[in-house]
Amino acid sequence: MSDLDRETRDALAELLLSMADDEFVLGFWDSEWTGIAPILEEDVAMSSVSQDEIGHAKALYELLAELTGDDADRIAFGRPPEGYRHAALMNHARTDWAFSIARRFLYEHADAVRLESLAGSSFQPLADLAVKMRREETYHILHFDLWLRRLAEGGDDSHARLAAAIERLWPDAQAVFAPLAGEACLVSARILPESLEALRARWLEVVGTRLAAAHLPVPREGARPEADGRTRRTDEFGWLHGEFTTVSGSEAGATW
Amino acid sequence: MSSKDRVWEVFRQEAEGDPMIHGGSVKAPDEELATHYAREFYGRRQESERLWIVPREAITELDDPDLLKPPFDRSFKRPGGFLIKHKLEAARERAGSPQVEEVGE
Repeated sequence: MSDLDRETRDALAELLLSMADDEFVLGFWDSEWTGIAPILEEDVAMSSVSQDEIGHAKALYELLAELTGDDADRIAFGRPPEGYRHAALMNHARTDWAFSIARRFLYEHADAVRLESLAGSSFQPLADLAVKMRREETYHILHFDLWLRRLAEGGDDSHARLAAAIERLWPDAQAVFAPLAGEACLVSARILPESLEALRARWLEVVGTRLAAAHLPVPREGARPEADGRTRRTDEFGWLHGEFTTVSGSEAGATW
Repeated sequence: MSSKDRVWEVFRQEAEGDPMIHGGSVKAPDEELATHYAREFYGRRQESERLWIVPREAITELDDPDLLKPPFDRSFKRPGGFLIKHKLEAARERAGSPQVEEVGE
């Protein structure tokens, strides 16, 4: 890791942080379904995939900590809300089941496109981690594609709620591919084998096809993700941040 | 829980070559979700090599005591009913092989 120049290392740190925060914050939002998911079996399933995301976040924070000489727990829990770099898609509360499914569908496919590309990263530890994460994400894709279809075909109410959620989340979902500081540097070093804009084009194709197949309206492509797609924060996220830092904030440096 | 939900019996194999053992059941409206839930309940901790997910109505149950536990002495149907200990000892003596662990009753 030491053979990276400073500029490349900083850009890589930004990429790792953005991915880790996506997984971390989404994992916390959807763990809110524990105990109240629509059916008992789904309760376990949703909690389990949320735990998977926290597991992926942990691996990414650890890789980042190794790169920058920091501590994974401190990065995960030791920042103020404005220090997080998750995409604006993860700024929203879980809302209703259709909303959570819509977000998962949009995110899982974005993550899949990102991981597929990073499996070929010239930064070997990230390539190895991407390969490992993809194996677990296979199930996530199956599960949320299935729920998207079920809700789309589940009657007028669920179809309408799902379509409205997709519409509302669409602009913020683009932010998964918001440009990163130092992105050009990562692309030229082939740490990120393709630009985020190229990945976004592939994602648009995948989700467009699947939405159409489920007879859901496909939102217009819209503008490129805004520059603050990974820095703007909401009160809803502020609340979640308060929740997930309760334990770490109650006694600094505590271990168990 | 919808009335359309069906019960699926889940069998699991702990290691390649092991027998499939009944793990429990899940409720799900179709095979696809049943498969996901079986995975979550009986495989998410990497404890299973393989799962079989079977709709409960596909199982033929036999629990008639007249067929399974008839009142007469059935001990002659068990292999343990035959005493071979002394025959085995004699055979070993003839063959001159060392005494190994006891076999049979």
